[in-house]
Formats: sequence, C-alpha cells, structure tokens
Amino acid sequence: MVLFEQTIEVDSPPVESAAMACPVRRDQVVSRPCVHCGQSTETLASEDAQRVFCCSGCRSAYELIHGWGLDEFYALREQLRPASASAVVAGPDRYVQFDEPAFLGNSTPRVQADGTCLAELAVAGLHCAACAWLIENVSASTPGWLSARVRMSDHTVRIVFDPRQTKLSAIAQLMGRMGYQLSPLDRSRDQHIQQESKRLLVQIAIAGFLATNSMWIAVALYAGEFTGVVYEYRYFLGLMGTTLGTLAVAGPGRTFFVGAIASLKSRTPHMDLPIAVGLFVGTVVGIINAIRGSGHIFFDSLAALVFLLLIGRWIQFRQQQRAARAVDLMLRITPRHATRLTEDGRTELVLAENLQHGQRIRIAPGECVAADGVIVVGATTIDRSLLTGESIPVAGNCGDLVSAGTINITAPIDVEVQAVGRESRIGRVMQSVESAAADKTPIVQLADRIGGVFVVVVMALAALTFVLWLPTGLGEATSHATSLLIVACPCALALATPLAIAVGLGRAAKCNVLIRDGQSLQKLSSGGRMWLDKTGTLTEGRQRVSTLVGAHYGLQLAASIECKCVHPVASAIVREAELLKLTLIDSAVLDKAIPGGVVGTVDGQHVAIGNIGFIRSQEIAIDEDWIAEIEFLLVRGEAPLLIAIDGVVCTLLGLSDPLRKGARETIAKLTRDGWAIGILSGDHAEIVSRVGQQLGIRAEDCRGGLTPEEKLEVVRASRRDSTVVMIGDGANDAAALAAADVGIAVRGGAEVSLQAAPVFVSSGRLTTIHNLVVGARRTNRVIYAMFAASLSYNILAVALAMAGWISPLAAALLMPISSVSVLAIVLGARTFKESNG
Amino acid sequence: MSVVYVALPIALLLGAAGMYACVRCIWDGQYEDLESPPVRILIDDQKTLAQPKNLFPK
Repeated sequence: MVLFEQTIEVDSPPVESAAMACPVRRDQVVSRPCVHCGQSTETLASEDAQRVFCCSGCRSAYELIHGWGLDEFYALREQLRPASASAVVAGPDRYVQFDEPAFLGNSTPRVQADGTCLAELAVAGLHCAACAWLIENVSASTPGWLSARVRMSDHTVRIVFDPRQTKLSAIAQLMGRMGYQLSPLDRSRDQHIQQESKRLLVQIAIAGFLATNSMWIAVALYAGEFTGVVYEYRYFLGLMGTTLGTLAVAGPGRTFFVGAIASLKSRTPHMDLPIAVGLFVGTVVGIINAIRGSGHIFFDSLAALVFLLLIGRWIQFRQQQRAARAVDLMLRITPRHATRLTEDGRTELVLAENLQHGQRIRIAPGECVAADGVIVVGATTIDRSLLTGESIPVAGNCGDLVSAGTINITAPIDVEVQAVGRESRIGRVMQSVESAAADKTPIVQLADRIGGVFVVVVMALAALTFVLWLPTGLGEATSHATSLLIVACPCALALATPLAIAVGLGRAAKCNVLIRDGQSLQKLSSGGRMWLDKTGTLTEGRQRVSTLVGAHYGLQLAASIECKCVHPVASAIVREAELLKLTLIDSAVLDKAIPGGVVGTVDGQHVAIGNIGFIRSQEIAIDEDWIAEIEFLLVRGEAPLLIAIDGVVCTLLGLSDPLRKGARETIAKLTRDGWAIGILSGDHAEIVSRVGQQLGIRAEDCRGGLTPEEKLEVVRASRRDSTVVMIGDGANDAAALAAADVGIAVRGGAEVSLQAAPVFVSSGRLTTIHNLVVGARRTNRVIYAMFAASLSYNILAVALAMAGWISPLAAALLMPISSVSVLAIVLGARTFKESNG
Repeated sequence: MSVVYVALPIALLLGAAGMYACVRCIWDGQYEDLESPPVRILIDDQKTLAQPKNLFPK
C-alpha cells in the first residue's frame, strides 16, 4: 500500500516562476503498450513506460492490482505466453542446484508409487493467499508440474511433479520468474512443533468428546433431581458419567498433573497446581460417591474444565509458535550455499558454513552474498539495504568489501572469503539482536502472578472449609472442601488471558499491524518514552527538490546528466525536471560521479552538480549572492545543491525530505496520551532539530548524527527510567528496535522486521501507531475486566461452597456461566479500530 | 426407561466414532494450515489466470 500511495501522489513542489532561461521543446509523441491490457497507446516520450494506460479503466485495474501487491500478475501473464513456455524447460545455471540432493537436503524429492516426485520447499515472497492462488494455478497449467499446495502458515509449498517431463530446477526457475524464491527446507524444528500441535489438538478432541457427552448425562441427572428419578437409573447414569469424567482427567488432563508436579519441584506456585489438586480430589471423591451411589459427583465439571483449559493451552501454544516462526524465517536471509572456485578454475557448490578464510566464491547477479569478503574479480553494484538500510545500491569494485546478506545486482563477481556465519557482519548484527532480546527482563504474565496468590488462597480456604465442617462428619467436610476446589478452579482466568491477547492480535492484524507477542500489547498500554527514527519513519525517506533558485536551463542540463546514474538526489532532480516538463537531452554524458557531486558534458558544455564542497573542489567560485541563498536554504532545513555550467553557478536547488502524511497529528495525539516523543536519527543534527520543530517535539529530544550503536545506547539508557518504544526501520535500526521494550518497525519487509521488532506496521502509516496504542490500552482494560469478572465469580463460588450451599446444580451453572460471560467480554469488547482503508 | 442401558452405550459409541474420525484428521495434518484453505475455496472460482492446457504442446 505504501508503494501505491507514493505513485499516485503528485504534489507539485513550490517552484518559483523564474523566467525560463531556455525554450522548452514539446515532448515527442510515441506509441507504447498499455501496462494493463497491452493495447498500443500514444503517450509523451518522457512518461514512464511503466505508467502508460490506454484508458482510465485500465489505470484503475492496474492500481488495484498494484495496490494489492499483485504485480506478479503481470510477470505471470508474460510467463504464460506460449513463446516463453519453452524457456521453462531449459533452466539457466542458477537453478541447476535444485536437481542435486546435496543442495536440497530434507527437500529432496521423494519418488511416489505412481512414479511422480513429491518435494516440500520453503517459499520466500509470499504475501497473501492470492500468491498461493497464483502458484497453484500456474502449476495446473505447466506440463509435468502436477500440483502445488501452498501452506501460508509456514511459507512452504508441496510440489508434485513428473520427473519424466520436467525437473525441479525448471519449476524453481518458473517460480523465480514469478517472483517467488524456493529454498530447501530445514525441517527438524518445524516437525517438532507440528507434532506438538497435533498432540494438543488430539487431546482437545478427546476432551471435547468426553466433556460434551458427560454434560448430556449430567443434564439427565439434574432433570432427575427434580422429577425424582428411580435410584437404579441414577446410579447407572452417575457411573457412566464418572467413567467419562475420569477418562478425561486421566487422558487429556494428564498435562496438568505433569505441570503441577513440575511446579512443586521448582517450588513456584503455578496455575496448574490448584487445577491438578481440584481435578484429583474431584475425581477421587466422585468415583467413591458414584460407587456408593450417594453424594455429589463432579464428572461434568471435571471434563469441561479439562476441555476449556486445553483450549487455552492451545491458543497460547499457537502464539509462541508464531513468534518462533518469525525468527525462523529470518534465518533464511543469508544463503546456505555458495559457489566456490577451485584452484583449477572449476566451480562447485558448497555449504556456506564450510567456506574457509581465503577461499574464492563466485556470486552471480541477483544472488545473495554468502560470506564477508573482498572483491577480487569484477565490478558490480550491490544492494546493501538489508544490512545498512541504504535504499540505493552502491558500487562494488575490485578490492571493495562485501558483506554476507547483501545482494549482487549487475555483474558476476569473485570474492575472497574473509568471514563466514556468526563471524560475518550480518552474523554479528544477528548476535546483537539476539543479546538485546535476551536482555529483556522476563515478564511474568499477570495471570500467572494472580495465579500464584490464588493457589495459596484456594488451598488455605479448602483446608479451612474442611476443618470447619469436620464436626458435622468426615463425609460432609470432604464433600464441601471438594466442591470448593472444583468451583474455585480458575478456569475462566486461565482461558481468558490467552484468548484476550489472541483476539487483540487478530484484530490488530486486520488493521495492518502484526504483533509477535502479547507482552508488547501490555507494554504499549501505558505511557512512556517513544523514540522515532527520522528518515523513512517521520519523513517519506525520499529526497525531493523543494526550492529552485535561478535558471531552469541548469536544471535541464543537470537532469540530463543525472538520469544516467542511480542515486536518490539524482532521481529527485530528474523527477523535478519531469514535473517542469523539461526535455532531457540525450547527448548528455556522465563523466564522473563521486560522493558530493557529479560532473558531465552536454553539447560541449561542462556541467558540475554537487554540494558546496564539491563545487569548490571543482575550482568554481560561489559568489556572495549565492552564499546568501544557500544560508537561507539551510535555515529552512533544506540541503543545498548547486549546478554550475562552464564554471559559473547558474542554479541552486534546495532538497528536502518531506514529512509523512499524518506525522504531526500522530505526534500530537501520542503526546496527549502520555508518551514522551523523541527523534533518534543518523541525519545531520540541524535537519533533525528542524523536523522536530515542525512536529512540535522538544529540542533536547531531537538527537541527530547518531550511529546505530549510539541509538542502541540511548534506548538502553532511557529504559532505566520508563517503558521505551522504538519506532524505526526494520533493517537499519534492528539493534535499537530489539533493545527497546517494544520495537515497532514501520518499513522494510515483514519477515526481516519481525525478527528485531515485535510489532510491524505493514500499512507504513504513522496514524496506525496511534491506533495501535489505543488498541493496546483497550485490550489491557479488557483483560483487567475479565480478571475482575472471573475473580468475583470465584469469590461468590467459594463463599457458597464454604457455607455448604453448593449443590451439584449450582456448581454446574456457575462454571459455564463464568466461562461464557468471560468469553462474551473478550469478544464483545471493541479493542482495535478497523483501519479506514 | 430401561432402554437407557442400550441407548446410552450406543450414543457413546457413535460419539466415539466421530471423535476417532476427528483424531484421524488431525494426525493427517488437516488442521495444520488454517489460513489458506478458507481463502482457497473462494479464489479457485476465478478463472482469469487458468490457461487452457493446450497452450503448452507436449
């Protein structure tokens, strides 16, 4: 959605209507295919070829698909054209490794009885269920590829293919062209989790069966209480019900006894303890009473208790699993294999972790670098966004360092390995993320805290009841104490917290906020310190020409040269020239691009574009008038850029990074809600304080010129005073995000961001952060409300039990009413506002 | 009323059969992915991208 917003937003910057220094030629009209339907359409030559539409219908269709992130649709359409179908069979070298068992490991295709092969692989690049749909549809229309089954939950695909007609490498290549990268699966962990999940589900199924059936029997018995059932039938029903209840406790309910024993061993009161005691005493007394044919039997309550508690367990388990999976996905960032060059010049595929210092590896364009090293052969551009957050690829030449996890873009390079795995730079970043995450004080969940007190209180009360009723007889005393243990069982309490959090997380996800754990919700619910990154978080992270002083002609020449290089400043200049409808001159030559500026030639004119230092280094004088203008720009927080033609400065551009929409309002609202807002930025201090001023943030809270390590320090330091929330870019601020109490990533891929930050705002909108804070507060309130409700039920039940008034009927009514009302509170409460679009 | 001696065990057996089927489904992995199947049933109906197979002569 972010991309979508940026492309349709056409704010025209304030441009001074200075006299045009050169005549502007009209654009040439050319014919281009419509991006959506392919129909030939007449457009201006300067228009972006990617934004040509034959009609407004096509434009809206494209914007919809683009907005949904379904651009793969177009790649897929190309793919399905007959002409390109043959290319699928002959895969290029990159994918050949998909036919080698050594590379595939656990994902090696298994030959099935009918001669087809089945392979399970991890897929990167899945966005939503529509991607699954695309992949599954493509498999249906590709010969030899029999079926694909995508599992969104763990980003894997199960591929069935006919080895006589196609190869896995061809399928991998086809997927690659659609924008999905396959990789072998590391299943050992996953399998364990799946087994555990299945085991829990089976237990729930069994407990559910036993609970519902024993309830029917209980209904018959309670009805019998009023109508005077014949003793013989009552005895039979009681016996049957007790059998079911006992099975529920002995089977699925075993978990709680295990937990209780563990809690006794570690001497920490745990919710499992009163549950286990209640279950045990209830079962024993129930069995004795059922056989004797008199007294209370609690089998329906016992079975229902086990059933509901197991559901609570399962919800909790799924949350933990989700968190673990998010971390797992990260580890797929760096490639596990590398192409090593042997001494005799051949290449071989080796595991990245087996690379040795001094060995050479070859990295093809589009591949991810597997290890840190020095480029020894080749020159290319490298995308380092993962590591540094730089959105612009940088040049990589012989002798330059490259880091694992960066992506080689243009040309193949040979790299001499210097560091591998945890020794590499990304490995060290991961380590710092890990240790920052481990630093956190473990939060004892509220339910467990209350549970600890609860355990002691309930046990004491049960003992008290027993002692008080002892004078009336041993049987009576046991019965009342048992009733108390059963009705006071914190069923609602144990079920409520995980449910409330699960509901909160689910609703947040609908508002485009992904939250990794429930603790973050709790921490966000009260005020504290909130640090924001500037570039890309508060601002759009995209340079724009906001001021133009002097001749347009200078801008035209500058844009003609700058369009030959890739740089945010260059694209800002080109964009500005396009907005002013200036024609780019094709004969422009880019002579030299160094940090600070570029030099080029247009029709024999020497053009220099750059900052003050660069222009001075080109021995071009900047006179007093320009200096005054530059100072004016600096005061306004804009970065000055000078354009000189043949050694004379003719144009001055002011570049700035505009604030995001809603930034001001969000900051104001958050401040009102009790958050102390501050900026942590790597940008120049003056620009940062300027942005802070615009947003109404106190000057001493605007800190500029910080390195990532310094940001981490600031976050750590402020954690001593209050809850710290860090909002920033998933890749760039990873360490600071992980060190904060709650890290919120607003940019970058969800997979990368969720490793460092427990919260990821996928809408990329700042206003969503305020929604998140409000939602967290409401969720917390709901949890407290539930505690209050379930505790009052328990107090009522305990009082009744101590007074000896708890009949089986009262117990049977109280238990479900408390659970149902708690569920109603959770599901009925309005926590997260549905985002408006 | 003595029918209860027959009816109750039969009811429990029927229930147990259902439970057994459910447990079989769980071990079979039907409950592993709860995200894609509900959406899959909706989107399979759209034939926009499903190309006729004869586009790819064998």
